[in-house]
Amino acid sequence: MPLVIKDEYPEKLFREDGKRLDGRDKLELRPIKMEVGVLNNADGSAYLEWGNNKIFAAVYGPREVHPHHLAKPDRGILRVFYRMTTFSVFERKRPAPGRREKEISMIIADCLEPVLFLELYPGTSFEVFIEVIDADGGTRCASTTVAALALADAGIPMKSLVTSLAIGKIDGELVVDLSGIEDKAGEADLPCAITWYNDQLSLLQFDGDMTLEEMNLSLDLAKNALKEIYEKQLNALKSKYIAIQEETLKQQENSTSGGEE
Amino acid sequence: MEEEQEVEDFEEEGEVTREIVVPGETLTEDVKNFYPGRGAIFNKEKTKIISLSIGLKQVRKNYMNVIPLRGFYTPRAGDKILGVVIDKNPVKYKLDINAKDLGMLKPKNTITRDKRSMGRGGRGGGRGRPGDRNSSNELSTARFNIGDVLIVKVLSADRLNSPELTTVGKYLGKKMGGSVISIGPQSIPRVIGRSGSMIKLLKNLTNCTIFVTQNGRIWIKGESIETERLLIEAINKIANEAHTVGLTDRIQEFLETELKKRGLK
Repeated sequence: MPLVIKDEYPEKLFREDGKRLDGRDKLELRPIKMEVGVLNNADGSAYLEWGNNKIFAAVYGPREVHPHHLAKPDRGILRVFYRMTTFSVFERKRPAPGRREKEISMIIADCLEPVLFLELYPGTSFEVFIEVIDADGGTRCASTTVAALALADAGIPMKSLVTSLAIGKIDGELVVDLSGIEDKAGEADLPCAITWYNDQLSLLQFDGDMTLEEMNLSLDLAKNALKEIYEKQLNALKSKYIAIQEETLKQQENSTSGGEE
Repeated sequence: MEEEQEVEDFEEEGEVTREIVVPGETLTEDVKNFYPGRGAIFNKEKTKIISLSIGLKQVRKNYMNVIPLRGFYTPRAGDKILGVVIDKNPVKYKLDINAKDLGMLKPKNTITRDKRSMGRGGRGGGRGRPGDRNSSNELSTARFNIGDVLIVKVLSADRLNSPELTTVGKYLGKKMGGSVISIGPQSIPRVIGRSGSMIKLLKNLTNCTIFVTQNGRIWIKGESIETERLLIEAINKIANEAHTVGLTDRIQEFLETELKKRGLK
């Protein structure tokens, strides 16, 4: 489906029937599809489709740090490279990493670090490469979610997964999971991420206007929506192995029943 | 005939459930009767035991373990591993051992000091005799070349320094011919099987020489390229289905049917 982005933002971000422009309710997420182990040459990898966002993540490590002066003698480091492809947005994006990409790389690294045991791997680095193939709002949240999956797929010991989501305010109402247009034309944007081993926020950014009550309410909304995404993350990690298990069971049943006949 | 070394058994005693757990998932909330074992920790409040990686849940005595399905190789002293010489200088060889650091192999760890050569060294003046293999090779790196495939043993390894290797020992040394395949180090116990049952099966059915090493690499040499290929397929199948039950039987069936189909039997 071609992605149509108009230069002018619509005046109203709600349709007449009370739904959002893409037909969602206020608390409804965009459709999410996740898969792990998609890249053969990476130690761990994952792919995510979140609405119109399409993102790959690859994890390598532990391995030597280059340039060497970045290595820490007492612990490992986590490096995240968030990049957008030139064709991922409406107007061609210049391929050189800009200010925005460096910022997002940094916040994702800071957000994922608490769940890793970096102190066990001194002098090494874990590297996460995130490539945004198609972008439509909320790529930093989607990237954090998919990076956590890729880390788990690489078999790196982790305390828990990390899940991330943006809450926003459009036309004076709080909504979950902002799309591209809502992000640009809306009043507020609140991306947050949670680490599940202690149920605490690992990322919280804010842009726009919101009252304190609205802020509290939006964090509650976020928690419910994050749980929904977390289930999908768990499912994506497990389903790959469960599918093989079920297939082999089926094979065995066939062969034993065939033997009896 | 090479023999694989003893490896911690995949499912020796203690029941392995076929339950797949992911990082952060609760293994049990019964913290009074269970302790976290391999691949598991208490949470901060010590109210439950959580998994650290994606793997299979295992209960052994009163320990909760997670047998990982994915992961990387960390060298430990005593491991027998397969390395490829990628660099050398007059004092040491550097080997790619599928770990974070390169393995270091010093020439003094590549030669056997048997009684006779020790005696000669002790006499003094016996060294440096022309044509004496031991003395001429003693401290140079002429023995192996870049690209050689070596089976080595880890002498010492820690988190900070490059692991030190040796080629002195049973079954160790340079491997000629054959092919090397690489699978995840976590699947290696499955290729060996319970007390070596799987590897015996593979050897018997394909008549190949197999050397399984702990860093996830397997060296194989068969009578023909066809059997080698079949063996590689079987090993990849094992690695892919490492978390399922009845694997040995299925591999036996697979090999027997494929051998017949390909006319190798």
